[in-house]
Amino acid sequence: MPANPELKQKVEEVLHENRVLLFMKGTPEMPRCGFSMRLVGVLEQMRTEYGAIDVLPILDPLREVTGEISDWRTFPQLYVNGELVGGCDIVEEMFESGELAELLGVQQPEAASAPSQAPPADPQQSPPLQVDGS
Amino acid sequence: MITDALPGAEVEVVDETGGGDHLRAIVRAPQFEGKSRVDQHRMVRAAVQPRMDDGSIHALSITTKPA
Repeated sequence: MPANPELKQKVEEVLHENRVLLFMKGTPEMPRCGFSMRLVGVLEQMRTEYGAIDVLPILDPLREVTGEISDWRTFPQLYVNGELVGGCDIVEEMFESGELAELLGVQQPEAASAPSQAPPADPQQSPPLQVDGS
Repeated sequence: MITDALPGAEVEVVDETGGGDHLRAIVRAPQFEGKSRVDQHRMVRAAVQPRMDDGSIHALSITTKPA
């Protein structure tokens, strides 16, 4: 099934408008899957602004879109400068190795380790973006 | 399935929840040499796609290492 062209265009716009963009299940304040929660936790430690999109309302159509854009259909997904960085596994590896900090142009946090607990209640990032379902 | 798609790979699969549907695959393969992590993950994912499509694997964590 081909991707919905309107949704794909919207996604491409959002990727263009956000240097760091996270597609996740749920929101940064309330992640709805363990992998999404872990990826948010990593981004919080990076102390960088990011956009977040809750994929749950538009899950299947969005899988088609990201499948076409990046050949990647599972969530969460992190994009930096419009390019797919990866899912939770890849981002955690890059976080621990310092590559993520380098990619984002921030300082590697001390005692960097992939978090296993819930993100802080008051995250410092731009509000999550809502994309209307197709 | 992974070694079929990636001959010569060393694969370890761990069942993360005991239920058989949340798996972690640790894959070391010469085919990963010089490829980005995203590409390495795509290769592993492509190898197990039928199991993801039929729902028998719900979540797959992947760790890849070049040989």
